[in-house]
Amino acid sequence: MANTMGEMIHGMLYGKGFHVGHLTGLGRVVATMAGAHADTVAFMGPQIHDHAMRIAGVPAARYYREAELLVSTQMAVERWYGFDTYTIIPDAYNFEVEALGAKMIYSDNAMPTVDTNNPLIGGRIDLDKLGDLDPSKGRIPMAVEIARLVHDRVSGPLASGFFCSPFSLICQAMGYPGAVRALKRDQVLAKELFDFAENRAIFPYLKAQSLVGGKSATGADAWAAFPNLTPELVEQWVVPSAKRLAERGTKELGMSAAAGTAACDYCEEDPAKFDKQIMFNCWETGGKTMFIDAAFAGMGRTQDWNMEWLQEFAVTHGKKGKKKLIMASLNARFVRDSSPAQIADKVRQWIDIMGRDGKLMFFIANAPMDTPPVNIHTAVHAVRTFGRYPIAGDLNAIRLDPPAFKPFDEWLKGQPEEDVILKGREKV
Amino acid sequence: MSKHQYEQISKAVTEGEEKDARRLVEEALAGNRPPEEILQQGVVAGITRAGELWKANEFFLPDVILAADAFKAAMSVLEPKLRATVNGKKGRKFVIGVVAGDMHDLGKSLVIAMLQSSGFEVIDLGIDVPREKFIDAVKTHQPAILGMGAYMTTTMLEMKSVIAELAGKNLRQGLKIMVGGVPTSQEFAKEVGADAWGKDALDTVKKALEMVGG
Repeated sequence: MANTMGEMIHGMLYGKGFHVGHLTGLGRVVATMAGAHADTVAFMGPQIHDHAMRIAGVPAARYYREAELLVSTQMAVERWYGFDTYTIIPDAYNFEVEALGAKMIYSDNAMPTVDTNNPLIGGRIDLDKLGDLDPSKGRIPMAVEIARLVHDRVSGPLASGFFCSPFSLICQAMGYPGAVRALKRDQVLAKELFDFAENRAIFPYLKAQSLVGGKSATGADAWAAFPNLTPELVEQWVVPSAKRLAERGTKELGMSAAAGTAACDYCEEDPAKFDKQIMFNCWETGGKTMFIDAAFAGMGRTQDWNMEWLQEFAVTHGKKGKKKLIMASLNARFVRDSSPAQIADKVRQWIDIMGRDGKLMFFIANAPMDTPPVNIHTAVHAVRTFGRYPIAGDLNAIRLDPPAFKPFDEWLKGQPEEDVILKGREKV
Repeated sequence: MSKHQYEQISKAVTEGEEKDARRLVEEALAGNRPPEEILQQGVVAGITRAGELWKANEFFLPDVILAADAFKAAMSVLEPKLRATVNGKKGRKFVIGVVAGDMHDLGKSLVIAMLQSSGFEVIDLGIDVPREKFIDAVKTHQPAILGMGAYMTTTMLEMKSVIAELAGKNLRQGLKIMVGGVPTSQEFAKEVGADAWGKDALDTVKKALEMVGG
């Protein structure tokens, strides 16, 4: 923590062209966000909860109930892979609805899920019966403790708690079809649902985070991705909701609450339907809920996209004529199912198209549990190798050796998280 | 007059007008229009049109959800009449659902309509169907065929888990399994242990008929 400000200032100066000293991961990210580029293309930590649990060999029954174990596991695994920043997130979509009484399905080897057979809200009557979220219920105390630990241990602007954004929370509570019917057919109910989600479910949860020192929280909103919601529906419902929540967070808690993350993320699955104009509309609208001027490509089938389009959007739509930051995710399934050579080729191609003029950050929207570790190590290694500035004229001429890494257990010896993880492997 | 009625039904289904779709089908039946004709020229035409608009990027998932709602409303009136006329053959029970985490209803709706018009008794488990619900439905209904659909690469692997669990519970004997949806393929069907892959609604019905002996 002590050097956080120094790392950030170093990153800002580096991004502005003062290329001195060795950048830390945080410095690299700040340089990419605030300036043109860092020493190499940055690689943000991915959402990695199930995968980190598998790598560390800790049981789901403890991992998804013990804040210290979850935070230590994810920090260790993300450092093992060599990402530039931490992203510490559990099953972020479940906490509020679980505390409100939704029936959950717990498993021995994966994250809990909401039982969609028994929705929390079937209609207006159920909404009226629900009280405000009680932060002592469900796993909210664990989530608040995660926020505290992240605030203490993770440095910089990405030290953030989490919550489930209003539209996704509504989907978790009543199912996506019910939520969509309300938006399209019963706007009075839809307004009541958003009001409930913002003020009676999320706000008490944010307040609990702020009481332990949380200064910022990010609200995941995958249910608002395209084509679940169109840019028009996101503009109508999600963007104003995110704005209301942000204003209330700042005014009453002194906290930054960023709802709507991943809203409008272009997730069309059929390559035959990929449409440049719709993609542009999605990136434009999705950018309205982001804390920086960025084009976000998260959960979609990005391996099949024409990345010239994303580069064109970033160059032509940035504020004050500057290129937007591109946050480009290697598709989770692509990373899991491809060979290391295929992953390296994809990284090479993307850097060639989008990295030459800087403002490019890689990430993986969600690392599936059974992703071969060599694939993720290869992705990071390839970004470090091909993404070194100035980018080589002919990236095909650069040879990529296999990534060198120790097995996780060997690497873990002597790490600050070793004891917690080893004890966490013991069954309850 | 009947052509106009069918066009109205089709339009109501396409546009997701649930109440209109139900009412118009009731009126057509009251006017003694043949149920198969109402199905094909009205309801199927409407959901097919919704599919075309979806493919053309003119309809998006919310529109599709509403079209599927209207389709179901129309079918709730039509289905008993179809059963009476088509006289579903023994051994033609088809359980169908979209796997957990996936909300894409349109392809399934089309498949259901065409299966029903081909004489199958269809048990629709809906969308976002948890694994246990598939298992319970197979136990309860003992269908000839279980069909599972997915539209997303992130959800399609759930089919493999369902099939593995069916095998683990000794429920695979005598049960044929079909999979379908945009990200699936013949290779995927083979990989997950399905008996057949439905490329589209027509292909699904053709293969389903082959599996139950025509």
